[in-house]
Amino acid sequence: MIYTIMYGFTIGAILYFISIGLSLTFGTMRVINFAHTLIYTLGVYFLVTFMAALNGHIVLSGVLAVLCVIPVSYLIERFVIRKLYGQSVDYTFIATFAISLIGVDLIKRIWGVNPYPLSDPIGTYLTFFDFTFPVYRVLIIGIAIVLFFALEWFFRRSIIGKIVAASLDDEDGVRCLGVNVKKYFSIVFVLGSVLAALGGVLYAPISSIQPYMGHSILLLAFAVVIVGGMGNLRGTFVAAFALGMVMSVTARYWSQGAEVMVFIVMGVVLIFKPLDL
Amino acid sequence: MLKIDAINVSYGHAKVLHDVSLEIRQGEMGFIIGRNGAGKTTLLKSIIGLLTPWSGSILFQGQAVVGLSPERLSLAGIRYVGQEKKVFASLTVRENLEIAAYACQEPVEKAIDRITGFYPKMKKFLDTKAGLLSGGQRQILLVGRALVGTPKLLLIDEPTQGLAAIVIEDINDIMSDLKQQVSALIVEQNLAMVNRLADRVFVLKEGKIVSEIDDKSMMSDTRKLEDYV
Amino acid sequence: MNSILADGSPGKRSSDGERYPALSDRHGWVSYVFIAAGFLALVPILSTHRVTDFMIFCIFALSFDVLYGFMGRLSFGHILYLGTGAYAAGLFIRYVDKNPVAAILLGVAAAVATGMIIGPIVVRTTGACFALINLAFNQVGFFLVLSPLREFTNGEDGLGIHAAQIGFFNTSSPSVMFWFVFACLLAVFYLLRQLTRSPYGLMVRCINENESRVRFLGYNTFFYKWVTFVIASGVAGLAGTLTTLNYKYVNPNVMDVHSNVGVIFACLIGGAGNLYGALLGGVIYMIISNTLPRYIQSWEMFLGISLLLIVFKFRQGVWGYLGDLWSYYQRKREQGKS
Repeated sequence: MIYTIMYGFTIGAILYFISIGLSLTFGTMRVINFAHTLIYTLGVYFLVTFMAALNGHIVLSGVLAVLCVIPVSYLIERFVIRKLYGQSVDYTFIATFAISLIGVDLIKRIWGVNPYPLSDPIGTYLTFFDFTFPVYRVLIIGIAIVLFFALEWFFRRSIIGKIVAASLDDEDGVRCLGVNVKKYFSIVFVLGSVLAALGGVLYAPISSIQPYMGHSILLLAFAVVIVGGMGNLRGTFVAAFALGMVMSVTARYWSQGAEVMVFIVMGVVLIFKPLDL
Repeated sequence: MLKIDAINVSYGHAKVLHDVSLEIRQGEMGFIIGRNGAGKTTLLKSIIGLLTPWSGSILFQGQAVVGLSPERLSLAGIRYVGQEKKVFASLTVRENLEIAAYACQEPVEKAIDRITGFYPKMKKFLDTKAGLLSGGQRQILLVGRALVGTPKLLLIDEPTQGLAAIVIEDINDIMSDLKQQVSALIVEQNLAMVNRLADRVFVLKEGKIVSEIDDKSMMSDTRKLEDYV
Repeated sequence: MNSILADGSPGKRSSDGERYPALSDRHGWVSYVFIAAGFLALVPILSTHRVTDFMIFCIFALSFDVLYGFMGRLSFGHILYLGTGAYAAGLFIRYVDKNPVAAILLGVAAAVATGMIIGPIVVRTTGACFALINLAFNQVGFFLVLSPLREFTNGEDGLGIHAAQIGFFNTSSPSVMFWFVFACLLAVFYLLRQLTRSPYGLMVRCINENESRVRFLGYNTFFYKWVTFVIASGVAGLAGTLTTLNYKYVNPNVMDVHSNVGVIFACLIGGAGNLYGALLGGVIYMIISNTLPRYIQSWEMFLGISLLLIVFKFRQGVWGYLGDLWSYYQRKREQGKS
């Protein structure tokens, strides 16, 4: 049972990394960025390439992979999202979906369709009261918690964070004070993408790497954002771990039903809390 | 200061403003009066760039500004305070001012001094979340925010709407103090305020300016004004 | 109500895929003749079976247009209802009674029921939420027929469905199927056209333009949205039942989430909001998806690129473009006269 909980927290942590970007973009620009998980997938594939080039040095590869998605993410924001989000949510959705189609196809061409195996980079275990936990998973959870506090600080203390928080309350008001919110939304967007790539990189060694890995994660991340509240970072944190736990516990008793259960939870939440846009 | 020449503004297919023209000179406080739905809010939003007229021109200090973004206009010296009295609810009063100060690169203390200058009670609320303020306090915060960076033109939409009489007095006093420092174009239903402060009154009816009054004696007779509305 | 739709701004071009009001009644029955002629003309070029296929997709596209073009909500999981209809009809024929008409009715009923249940959850949301919630439900449905209900649906392998013949309605005959689907298509088109022109239709269009205002006028917008959603589900269900009967086979791919791209593309390229666009787009998409994979390997990328092009450059779709050409031509004529 304890392993189920650990697994739940691990999945929760990964979902958290990916959902932050989605939640922020949703909250500020009110758009779903389908290409968000393309970035996640790209981060993983960049990792694979760097690992090969740098002879398996995973930390450096990971850092480089995450950094490399920044220009890609910026391009998407600058040329697609920014042009569309003021006009129509639907078109942004379709356009980012189109990008994701193109992106997945490119990934297939460059890296091939076959899954890449990667193994647990640390490989050691912690023993705690008769249970053994892989250190790597503990590390992931640890990073997620650190990230949570870092983001809390960022949004409470820094001026960028305050501007974003203000924009979530009243975007026109911020603009009428002379602040170019688009620039800050860009920053938030790229930040969200970087975190998604980080999530991908961290998860890669314990999951299967194939070109469509982004698709199923997107829906789960979306469920997290709905349950946690858009633009609500604390809610996202709680929801990510809660849903991760739901998945883990469900998987224990009904192995295929894990994802479906998340959607059922999402549906139930929506019945009682029909807020949204 | 501000010259609007025959602008036409629509919401989608619905035309709201028809060939509207008006002018505000430096140091003047102009008021726009009219029934609900006449297009007053639309007019203000068109000046600050939240809406774009599809014909006509707007000159601010001689420069054409139609099509410019609200951010640019704000930095150029036009500030807009909307009808909904929306503040940055999750930030404190101090942080609300911080954002304005950051944009104009004015030290936040100066902004705080200014607002506590015309409303000393705000000192108590500096670290309260703006969402918890009362309607009147929010209005004052909004005006304080708008004044950061010493703007040249204020656009205010119904500042006294929904406020208690005592608070309205406070607002009136604040507006009086501002009268010489900044030009303003204010939408108001409260004709007593119009009486006291207006240099010029524009009557907007169904999207058209039907009259312009700059005769002080006319303005001080509330009944005569009511006839126009 | 009229003031919301009144056009007060001369010289304003509808560019961002704005809804065109349906062609005025001066066209009336002529349009049906054109549609009929169009499809009949395709038969000698492709086979009967292919054109039937096209028409079924067009029915699905029409159902999607009701939701997207008309009510303004983009769903990324609409194919769930097609699948529901397909499976309900298929399972009925397989396990209960081989009567195809009864199966069709049941299939549509199943899709309608599903729409009625999911509708209240979903129509409260807009924009991106709406799109993805429908996607999630679609995913759940797909999963259901794949796994837990495998006992009945035979999971991935699918089921062969053979309906009995009722009178002249023989589903094994391509020409009978053709005429039946043809009749269904025209009937659906007629019904939807009447619907979109009725007071109900006007209400839905107003809700699309400015929902809060309609609500302030005292109308229960939730109800109208729900009804529209149910209608869209029902028509999609009909398309599903026809799919099963036409292919004599049903498997989970009938509600594959990825297939939603096709109908979205169809409505975009055809032009959303006026039903004709859906038909046109449906045919275009079917032609593309049937011929292109033969020549281009990564046709998904092609689809992606064309979607981007449409979104940025060609929002009004082919029908809208034709509409613009027509008004341009008319204006020129008027200028010529004066």
